[in-house]
Amino acid sequence: MVLLIGLGLVQIAGLTIHALDRMDVQRMAQTRDAAVRVISMYRSVVLAPRERQAAVVAEFDLRDGATVWLSDLPIAEPLPVMDPAAQRQFRGAMLLVPVPVEQRPREFVLRGGADAEHIAVALRLPEGSKWLNATLEMPPPRPWHSQNFFSAFMMMTVTAAVLTLWAVRRLIAPVATLAAAAEALGRNVNAPPLPETGPLEIATAARAFNTMAGRIRRFVLDRTFMLTAIGHDLRTPITRLKLRAEFLEDDELRAKMLADLDEVEAMVASILSFGRDVAADEPVTPVDLPELARTVLDETADAQPDFAERLSYSGPDHLTVRVHSLAMKRALSNLVQNALAYGGNACVRLVPPEAGQLILVIEDDGPGIPAIELERVFQPFHRVENSRNRETGGSGLGLPIARNILRAHGGDVKLINREGGGMRATVILPV
Amino acid sequence: MSSETAPTSGVMPHILVVDDDRETRELLARFLERHRFRVTAVRDSREARRVWPLGHFHLIILDLMLPGESGLEFARWLRGFSDVPIVMLTAMGEQTDRIVGLELGADDYVPKPFNPRELLARMRAVLRRVGEPAEARAEASPRTLRFSGWTLDLARRRLLNPDAVEVPLTGGEYDLLVALVERANRVLTRDMLLDLLRGRQAGPFDRAIDVAVSRLRRKLDDNGRQSQLIKTVRGGGYVLAADVERA
Repeated sequence: MVLLIGLGLVQIAGLTIHALDRMDVQRMAQTRDAAVRVISMYRSVVLAPRERQAAVVAEFDLRDGATVWLSDLPIAEPLPVMDPAAQRQFRGAMLLVPVPVEQRPREFVLRGGADAEHIAVALRLPEGSKWLNATLEMPPPRPWHSQNFFSAFMMMTVTAAVLTLWAVRRLIAPVATLAAAAEALGRNVNAPPLPETGPLEIATAARAFNTMAGRIRRFVLDRTFMLTAIGHDLRTPITRLKLRAEFLEDDELRAKMLADLDEVEAMVASILSFGRDVAADEPVTPVDLPELARTVLDETADAQPDFAERLSYSGPDHLTVRVHSLAMKRALSNLVQNALAYGGNACVRLVPPEAGQLILVIEDDGPGIPAIELERVFQPFHRVENSRNRETGGSGLGLPIARNILRAHGGDVKLINREGGGMRATVILPV
Repeated sequence: MSSETAPTSGVMPHILVVDDDRETRELLARFLERHRFRVTAVRDSREARRVWPLGHFHLIILDLMLPGESGLEFARWLRGFSDVPIVMLTAMGEQTDRIVGLELGADDYVPKPFNPRELLARMRAVLRRVGEPAEARAEASPRTLRFSGWTLDLARRRLLNPDAVEVPLTGGEYDLLVALVERANRVLTRDMLLDLLRGRQAGPFDRAIDVAVSRLRRKLDDNGRQSQLIKTVRGGGYVLAADVERA
């Protein structure tokens, strides 16, 4: 844009210079033309016999509104005396006209010129005191008067604009590619590397970007590996503890211990699934989404029969979507669990697809959370201030996992406080 | 290495436990002995191969993650000449292990860390299946079961509708449906179904079965006035009325 404005300014400046130059040239040509005419008339008059002079003047073939006459006095009014610069120019022009020296005028008066549209010249005839007066039209210069000028100018402008645009595009394209690659890396750490081609600076930038992406990838892999290792190492002690608990004579103690161990196991499982790459784990298959949602609710009800009455689904009975089935189930399950933990109930509503995406909302009637927390709860291990969630055994990973999974599907999930109380988790999924 | 043997008795099933953690092994042995099993416990597949000919085992509990030869390789070796039931212990959520394990002919899998009582329930269910008529066992470990246009993908634990779209099931619903389909056109008693759901449900089991069946009927589009696919047998239990194709 800046470049185009600059280009426009340059064109205007060029045009002005051209116009001024052309005006000068036109003026000069007019002056010379006028000088030639005046000198040749003077010559004709001088060469004629004295008594024929008036007749010669009358016979001049005058065009362009010029007038010529003989008089005793040089022309005076109404034109002002010509300014010195123009006088010099005119005198110079008269000197250039090739005539014998004796036929040159000795004395003359110049009037008009400059901005006036005509000039007047008075020349004293050699013998006697007669003056030859002439007025000549000097049309104002017309700088634009050229048939080719306009088209040539337009062609130049358009060519310059096109070339500028092309060059700018060429320079900017790699930057756009870089931006797209950074965006893709944010969504998928295994996005393909940038081609390291093009101008030197661009290739260097691409190489640096690829190196950075590689480091991030390694970092993510390390993290995944570490989490998986932790998960595996915890398996053995948890298994032992569960077996040991079976030997406790106190039934209540045993039940509580097993419940604790289940909780530990659930946390480890959620850490594992947070570290895991959704797409690498299972293929995309067609799944009946409403049944998936109902199954999630049924499983929740089976696990927590006290809440069975506070879970509901509404929406179409069948709708096929292509997703990572287990991952999607986990995402919905986490959202339902979250609603249950914070709000004490969960209403799942499916809005049929429109414009290529479907919306699934999970609502509860709880107190909601402060607006500032609505995004923060998607950060791993973040806990809302004064959270009562601790007692429900959340790992702090439920919502981050849900968002990871949905984003891996090209969708997303957002939380809002509903008007009139309660929370709403809105899931958007492309179909 | 360590092997513990309960007092010999003709009716007590003999279990071979293969797990590399000594504590787990010993605890599991003690736990199972308490529940009237005879247990031999070994630490890896080398020892398992050694003790295999020495006892008549009714069931093997096999950890997939073993030092040296993996549990999968051992299972492959064993399947070469024996169809003794195998219950595999897999890592949490490692789908591939489970799928490969089931393809190799494991009868069931339990993710580790397991709930001892759930393991017990699975073992009993597997042993009961073994005790059934031979033809049911002979056709065991198919990869898919087809009935009335529906497909059960046993490796991935999925139900596919006639359009090959997955219809998600809860764990209990899946086990129930597999039991019904495997014994199609035969009545399943409440006792058998209870075993399947035990350890999964927190609520009262009796009601849970009815609830699971009604959900299954809904998911199978079988909830008209008169259910055609899963029929209720008065006083007895349920029967799946369909021809089943195994592949």
